Amino acid sequence: MGTTVIRAERLTTKYEKFTVFSNLSTEIKKGKITTIIGPNGCGKSTLLKTIGRILKQQSGEVFLQEQDMKGISTKAIAKQLALLSQNPEAPLQLKVEELISYGRFPHRKNVGTLSSKDMEVINWAMDITKTSAFRTREIAQLSGGQRQKVWLAMALAQETSILLLDEPTTYLDLAHQLEVLQIVDRLNKEHRCTIVMVLHDINHAARFSDELIAMKNGEIINVGPPEKIIAKDVLKEVFHIDARIMVDPENGSPVCYGYDALPECE
Amino acid sequence: MHNKYRSRFFINMLFLTGAILLAIYIHITNGTFDMSVKDIVTTLLRMNPTNEFDLVIFQFRLPRIVIAALVGLGLGIAGTVVQGITRNGLADPGILGINAGAGASIVIFMFFFQMELAVSGSSNWLSILIMPIFGFVGGLAAAILIYVFAWTNGKLDTQRLILSGIAICTGFGALSLYISLKMRESDFEMATVWMSGSIYNANWMFIIAMIPWLIILIPVIYRKAHLLDYFQLEEVSIKSLGIQVEKEKAILLLSSIGVISACVSVSGSIGFIGLIAPHIARQLVGIHHRYVLPASAAIGMFLVIFSDYLARTIFAPAEIPVGIIVAILGVPYFLYLLIKTKA
Repeated sequence: MGTTVIRAERLTTKYEKFTVFSNLSTEIKKGKITTIIGPNGCGKSTLLKTIGRILKQQSGEVFLQEQDMKGISTKAIAKQLALLSQNPEAPLQLKVEELISYGRFPHRKNVGTLSSKDMEVINWAMDITKTSAFRTREIAQLSGGQRQKVWLAMALAQETSILLLDEPTTYLDLAHQLEVLQIVDRLNKEHRCTIVMVLHDINHAARFSDELIAMKNGEIINVGPPEKIIAKDVLKEVFHIDARIMVDPENGSPVCYGYDALPECE
Repeated sequence: MHNKYRSRFFINMLFLTGAILLAIYIHITNGTFDMSVKDIVTTLLRMNPTNEFDLVIFQFRLPRIVIAALVGLGLGIAGTVVQGITRNGLADPGILGINAGAGASIVIFMFFFQMELAVSGSSNWLSILIMPIFGFVGGLAAAILIYVFAWTNGKLDTQRLILSGIAICTGFGALSLYISLKMRESDFEMATVWMSGSIYNANWMFIIAMIPWLIILIPVIYRKAHLLDYFQLEEVSIKSLGIQVEKEKAILLLSSIGVISACVSVSGSIGFIGLIAPHIARQLVGIHHRYVLPASAAIGMFLVIFSDYLARTIFAPAEIPVGIIVAILGVPYFLYLLIKTKA
């Protein structure tokens, strides 16, 4: 098995008085795509944000490459780990390439100019996400799908080996959902990025992930490869559905092709 | 990719410098005592100086213009910072209650140390130098209160920031009024005129009192101006980039409070400059704060110098507080912004 790149130990995170999860422990393997799935409000986004030090945990530790993240400066973390927000916002008059250049913040020494290295990485990020064509446009002129790719490019410009994506496909049409996930897949396969993401679509999760983490009510119910998680009993427990599952003959990953709600009483 | 912005910036700054010089020219030459440019230049260069020119230029008009310029500069900068860190184009130091906090504190100072004494003659220059410090304490108190009320979940909530600011502003306003009512009659008049924002009793002492604040704090703010660009993203993205959001916001906010306090202590509360100047600046030079900040400072300068000229001359020989002129110009612009944001 691969080495662990992020290890969360006995994490407790709260919103004001509401405890989202307590004593949660998990591991993320290096070079893999790990997807957190679960119903609304199960704490999957909160877990991702806590791992990405966006939210401060009440107790517990997150280790990045075996180093306690509390002891690393936030700028140093930003060189190793980038997080794409669920609802990113930017001024509408901002140009695409400028927004992407913001991703260079943790690497920049002087604020005035971008170095040739900065430009190189920005161009690389635009190539991978296929955003070069509209680099000089303003954010206001982009469609939702284009915007999401630009935000992904900004995260890539951070040049990190770990990428955390909080529902990167929500609000996108089918073609753009696939396109974003294929970019993510390529980053993982060709650039050996470790990916941790939150997805709502369990079929996408099954198709693009090496490992799934299934959560419910602030607890991790099950962890494992898609074949193990996209199964009748697990989906019943996690989503409270009666799922019909088959194996996609094209790519061999499990697919939930239909489901029914289970009766309310237990 | 920044060249286009830069040339646009320099062209606009050139234009603004011209506007400021024009405003200074009008301000210094016109009034009850008209002077020609030649008179002014010869007086400034000390070529056959006459006492009356010296008096009008050095004691009356020049200190006013310098104070107007510095106050406009300070408020333009502070307004840009406050709008930048709250991500709210309708925020302004006045609305957040920082002006009112600084003002209340200075009214308390006047009450105990007697304003009349403080401004009459340079003998009591110590109290003039202390005024901005009092202002800072009050501004800081306002800021702490804002933080207490607007701090939720380990971060500054923008909505609550504005709401609590309005409440704090009203509270400190009431406090100032209450204290000023307890004052002796002459002090009371002085305090009310000062509170509505006026610089007609300008003298060089005030300028000396405010300059150190500006010299120290404005470079701090300018060095951090690029962060204001990042602050236009939403919280999660900023943190992910490795920016210490709360720390940087606190530094920027505290520096602005210092600048505002220095301004308020010499001129009283001049509202709307901090609101209008950044807006006009963004229309002229775009959204990059390294350009918006100086442009907003220049616009603030122009607005206050020009408004003070109007305040001095419209009903001459009577004076209107410059804050009222600014408000007359500012209120319609504020309403226009409200309508525009709604649409």
